[in-house]
Amino acid sequence: MLEHIVIVGGGGTGGALAHDLTLRGFRVTLFEKGELLSGTTGRHHGLLHSGARYAVNDPTAAVECIEENRVLRKIAPEALEQNDGLFVALDDEDMAFRPLFLEGCRDCGILAQEMTPAAALALEPALHPDLKSAVRVPDATMDAWRLPMHFFATARSNGADIRPFTEVVGFQTLNGGITAVETVDYRTGSRRSYRCDMVVNAAGPWAGQLAALAGLSLPLQPGPGVMVAVEGRVTNMVINRLHPAGEGDIIIPQRRLSLLGTTLWLASDPDVLSPPADQRRRIIDLCGRMVPAVRDAPVRSVWWAVRPLMADGDAKDAQAISRDFGCIDHSERDHLEGLISVIGGKATTLRAMAETAADLICKKTGRSFPCRTRESKLLSYRLFYK
Amino acid sequence: MEPTKINFRILRFKPGRIDPPRHQEFELAVGPQTTVLDSLEQLKLEQDNTLMYRHSCHHSSCGTCACMINGVPRPACVTGVLDLGTATVTLEPLVGFRTIGDLVVDMRDFYGDLSEEWSGLRAAEARGGKGSPQSHQGPVRFENCIECGCCVAACPAVGGSDGFMGPAALAAIHNEMLKSPAKKTALLALADGERGQRLCRRALNCSRVCPTAVSPARHIADLRRMVSAAEGDGQ
Repeated sequence: MLEHIVIVGGGGTGGALAHDLTLRGFRVTLFEKGELLSGTTGRHHGLLHSGARYAVNDPTAAVECIEENRVLRKIAPEALEQNDGLFVALDDEDMAFRPLFLEGCRDCGILAQEMTPAAALALEPALHPDLKSAVRVPDATMDAWRLPMHFFATARSNGADIRPFTEVVGFQTLNGGITAVETVDYRTGSRRSYRCDMVVNAAGPWAGQLAALAGLSLPLQPGPGVMVAVEGRVTNMVINRLHPAGEGDIIIPQRRLSLLGTTLWLASDPDVLSPPADQRRRIIDLCGRMVPAVRDAPVRSVWWAVRPLMADGDAKDAQAISRDFGCIDHSERDHLEGLISVIGGKATTLRAMAETAADLICKKTGRSFPCRTRESKLLSYRLFYK
Repeated sequence: MEPTKINFRILRFKPGRIDPPRHQEFELAVGPQTTVLDSLEQLKLEQDNTLMYRHSCHHSSCGTCACMINGVPRPACVTGVLDLGTATVTLEPLVGFRTIGDLVVDMRDFYGDLSEEWSGLRAAEARGGKGSPQSHQGPVRFENCIECGCCVAACPAVGGSDGFMGPAALAAIHNEMLKSPAKKTALLALADGERGQRLCRRALNCSRVCPTAVSPARHIADLRRMVSAAEGDGQ
């Protein structure tokens, strides 16, 4: 029997990692304290990034995004609406950013097609009629629940033991290494420990709380943001503002809704119970500059998600924090064997995060199994329930 | 506006521990924007971390958080607490589903009749291009069902010994026919099977409770017409 790897966190990263590790042959158990995808991933607005958003200021994240965009279209097409996206310029400042944007996209290998206002309006009549320019990019919409559930369904089918409503509440250690996790099952109330060879902390914005159980801290900053869903598909393509990443700069059609995003602030606690006042109005106002119809559309829902930003505690400019991800080997950093933390990243790069973590696990266990998740088509999410 | 105190009456169930299920009451102050799901989140965080419920997207797109709210199946994430107009809000798991714990139901029976072979999302659904007759109607998409189970919980014909497959499966069969006309004969046979449309009692509850306006009853009526037409052709 190969090594037993315990994954803590049933979000997109945990699901993708369970899939990757089972394909490589490891024995996998995943614990999630609540329902799968109830933390950050499921609340995501569903943009499958082309990478264009990051092409100017965060080219590493941009290249990761376009690579993963292409992979996910191959392995999970049924979870995506592949309708492309537009970046629209509304004022002179946007037009001044345009050449940088086009150059950034070219450098990162992102197909960016310049369009006249008339051509953009023919594609998407609801755009503001005074737009100055548009650029078409290979953005898409993902179903933020179904896509990661494809990973869980495939992982379970390949033997992973997926345990929602089970929280990891402690670690057992011996000679400076983790030997088991202690869990509480909220269904039965039973406490149980599971012996394991390695633990992966994939708890997203809650990863700091998990690391604290082992007496460790992480360079992690919870970065919540508010989103607004309005009734009706005002556009069929993803609409982005053509300017540096900011607030209220994206509209994502999803089902019969249009999702408006987003804001960003830095929080100390990943459990956010209510957002700051006035964010809803600000998002609708900003997105209404791109597509005026969103201002009159009835609001369906206002909610928030907490990004797991990779940053040390004193980050000031939230938008400047990279959306890159990292794998921390706590044996090197903290002299604790058997624990890896995966932090940062974003929904679009969930598979790549898993690949990096699984490569590290192979290295540490001395196994030389190649990653197979780039080519392996995922099973339908529905199979998770069969 | 002052927060309003609401009494949440939640049906608790933990197999072997809180068994049979019993109601437990919690008090919580809510504001005008607070949803039932927001309330559950706050109760879990501040009053009882063993409370179990399903949730994911928080904007009625994933379909996971449906439960019986004051006796009606609805997604908790888009149900405003004060919009209910009751000082006590009763929360129970979806009727007719097996309960795993508290408000969490087992979706296996529900998905048993939804084939993984049926197509999922696709690109540019019926988007009117230049010159298309639909160009002024705005984009539409076939698939609006979020598989939340509300229609099944509301259906009086589900749960009998005849094993009616229920409104969600029938709506999905009809949608699949629209997407993949080549499969029509096989899908129609499925819809007309012993567990299919013939067991629908036309109560229309499914369409009334559907949170995404899928109108399962209309899909069932369409299937019924197709079955009649096919029988007519055969004679």
